[in-house]
Amino acid sequence: MIKLNNISKIYEKNVVALDNVSLWFKEGELVVLKGVSGSGKSTILSLIAGLVKPTTGEVLVDEKKISKIPDHFVSQYRQKNIGFIFQKYNLISSLNVSENILLPLVPLNLKRSECKRRLESVLKQFSIEDKRDTLVKNLSGGEQQRTAIARASINSPKIILADEPTANLDEKLSLEFIKILKDLKSQNKTIIVATHDPLFFNLDFVDRTIEVNNGKIIS
Amino acid sequence: MTLIPEILAIYILDALFLFFATIAFILSLQIIKDWNFNATTKLQYSLEKKSYLGSTIIKYMFYVKLPLFLFFIFTLDKISFILPGAMCGAGVVNSNEYATVLLFLKLINIYLFAYWIVLDTQDMKQENQPYLKKKFMIFIPLYLLLVFEIALEYKTFSSINVKDVVDCCGAIFSTNDNTYLSKALSLPTWSLLGMFYINFILLVLSAVFKYRYIFATLNLLFILISLLSLVAFFGTYIYELPTHHCPFCMLQHEYNYIGYFLYGVLFIGTFNGLVVGFIRFNARELSKRLRVSLLFNFIYVAVVTLYPLIYYLRNGVWL
Amino acid sequence: MSLLIALLASTLFISNAMKDEYNKIISTYPDIVITNQKALRDSTIDENEVNKLLAIEGVSSAVPRVWGNYYFLNADKKFLILGKDEFETYPNPLLNENLDIKNHSMLISLGVKKILDDNYYHNYFNFIESNGSIKKMQIQSLLNTKESLKNPLVIIMNKDDAQEIFQYSKNEVTDLAVTVVNRSEVAFVATKIRILFPSAKVSIKKDLRVFYENVYNLRSGFFLTVFIITFFTFFIIIYDKVSGLNSEQRYEIGILKALGWRVGDVLSAKLYEGLIVSLFSYILGISMAFIYVYLLNAPYLKDIFLNNYDLIGDFKIVFSVDYNTLSLLFLLSVPIYIAATIIPSWRVATLEADEVMR
Repeated sequence: MIKLNNISKIYEKNVVALDNVSLWFKEGELVVLKGVSGSGKSTILSLIAGLVKPTTGEVLVDEKKISKIPDHFVSQYRQKNIGFIFQKYNLISSLNVSENILLPLVPLNLKRSECKRRLESVLKQFSIEDKRDTLVKNLSGGEQQRTAIARASINSPKIILADEPTANLDEKLSLEFIKILKDLKSQNKTIIVATHDPLFFNLDFVDRTIEVNNGKIIS
Repeated sequence: MTLIPEILAIYILDALFLFFATIAFILSLQIIKDWNFNATTKLQYSLEKKSYLGSTIIKYMFYVKLPLFLFFIFTLDKISFILPGAMCGAGVVNSNEYATVLLFLKLINIYLFAYWIVLDTQDMKQENQPYLKKKFMIFIPLYLLLVFEIALEYKTFSSINVKDVVDCCGAIFSTNDNTYLSKALSLPTWSLLGMFYINFILLVLSAVFKYRYIFATLNLLFILISLLSLVAFFGTYIYELPTHHCPFCMLQHEYNYIGYFLYGVLFIGTFNGLVVGFIRFNARELSKRLRVSLLFNFIYVAVVTLYPLIYYLRNGVWL
Repeated sequence: MSLLIALLASTLFISNAMKDEYNKIISTYPDIVITNQKALRDSTIDENEVNKLLAIEGVSSAVPRVWGNYYFLNADKKFLILGKDEFETYPNPLLNENLDIKNHSMLISLGVKKILDDNYYHNYFNFIESNGSIKKMQIQSLLNTKESLKNPLVIIMNKDDAQEIFQYSKNEVTDLAVTVVNRSEVAFVATKIRILFPSAKVSIKKDLRVFYENVYNLRSGFFLTVFIITFFTFFIIIYDKVSGLNSEQRYEIGILKALGWRVGDVLSAKLYEGLIVSLFSYILGISMAFIYVYLLNAPYLKDIFLNNYDLIGDFKIVFSVDYNTLSLLFLLSVPIYIAATIIPSWRVATLEADEVMR
């Protein structure tokens, strides 16, 4: 359902992030992309989310060439299908929890009641109900993480992408995160995690592990 | 004449329009030349971004043009006070040959810009953006018309001469002279009214059967017949004076500004009617537009018919 | 930006208020004034010509008037002298009621009293006629003038006395004031009069109105030009500010785009922001102007408008709402501000999400 065909991505100053990579992902899979920083795994995630366009090659999601369609529609595709959890969370610090979580819904022009319903549902799901009006900068690391995940889930995406989600967490919170991940997998979402955290390497509910090094796939 | 603050304000906004429209014009040229939807080059991506700028500028101009047009009419009214002989905007418009053309040009431009915006909205709804190149090609003549309009506006205002005596609308719209206008105004009432109502009925019928092109053509006719019948017949009931045929005076507050309402409703109705002839909408959008057009045209017909009816009910006679 | 709007709004309000005052005053003037001219210079007219005027259809009254300016050398000031005939009742804007003036007496305004007092004339004043002889006039009382029209230097006396001071002969008057029954007939009657008095200047009230209207348009046009220049400076400043977005803002936009916001969404959000800001400043500016002009009576700025030109001395500004002016100001502020934000907003909206988040 997600296909990367002969993808190369070259950034400014001839930095080669990916070199002729071809990958595919099945629906409902949980895949771990293993590799050190700068190996290109983040780029793979960005490509799938449509955040960057490949230098050569194409990205297909459900047979749709998202690498070819105009930015306007890629964003629409992203709105509906992708939930992204960033390495640095990328929450807007001047807003509170609820506002951050609702952000992806704004362009969808849903009814107020619907937005509220979804908000309540994810607040509950990730146990941050009592923090809904707190400003992000006043949250703990774990709470911020849960907010980020809630934000990524609120539009009920089919695909969840996580970029180094546990990089800034201690072991306890990392394990909590893994637990949440397991829950999400049970909802039949396609999940791709890019990480070099060894905690992920031997999990039983991970379908595949792909190793990425220097822009090429190793295994 | 130039130093009236209202005219100065119009000039300022015109200058702003010129500036932005020219940017959009240059963008349009680039897009027309190099747009290749399927290309994945840097050029194409930058053109995509530029197309957003182009749309935004054109949309902005339209949304500002609307209140500006109203303001323009206000200003005409205000100037009419200063010009000897004029008692409403009609006198000003008639005072020099540029002004009438300017008025019509402004109206046409509003229709055209509105059409562009509908085209743009449709274009953005479909992933392959079918109208992209087309809409920017259409902007080229639109731009020229806009420039022409602004130049004409400047010429009109600067040549209004305070010392010339001007006709008031009683003279302009009289049925005595030998002009086309007076001939049209002195058509027998029944044939005029007949054409008006029959046109409307045909509109309804063609909408029911979804004959796009016929509907659009009928709307075009409807604009002409409505204006004519308004000036010749319905207007006299608004003013309650059988010889008062002016299309401008009904914009003044003595008549509760009914003119603005009528013209506004007429515009919305006929614009939606016209646009279905030019753009192929999907079924749902088409019926929506047809309904809107019919509704507003109906409101126009209803209100305009009410005036003579109420007059008759109140006074027992026709004018 | 609000301040600018407030300034402009105030000037427009003031000039509008003054225009209204003028219109009020002028409406009490006679419809047509006939002034004889010799060699295109104002001259006097025989009061018996009035009969010719009364014969014209549509004329409800025709009154000969005696008035003029008298130069008081010692104080270097001009007095406006109005001659009043006991039989005349045409409404005079300066007077609240019809006054009974004794022979060789006069009524003076406050301004005149002050000047006379300064020159040691307390109960009477000596006018010097053009042949050198002196005409002594008693001061009967002070003029009770309407508040808004404290034209400082007005003297009212009987017509004969005025005629003497001006050295008119008994039948000579300054001009003839005509009132016409039907307002829309005024132009027509004026034409008839012109035929009757080919060498006279026939001024119509409407022309006066138009004249003052133009004068005020000129003045507000001047201010507008000043405003434009300042505004363009602002334009540039705004542009600069919005486009030089700091990295924090770019970062946030990047996040939004990563979350699925389209270019259009970001653009609309930024433009709405601009709209709200400018609307708010507009309202704030107008409110400030309202307070300044109508509540505080516009100190300082008012004086720029009033100079010797005018009929009006000092006046209290009456509250009135002029939609024309308000919409003018709106059109000048809001669309321009938004225009200034278009390009910067677009630049920002089309940033690659990826670039700003690295």
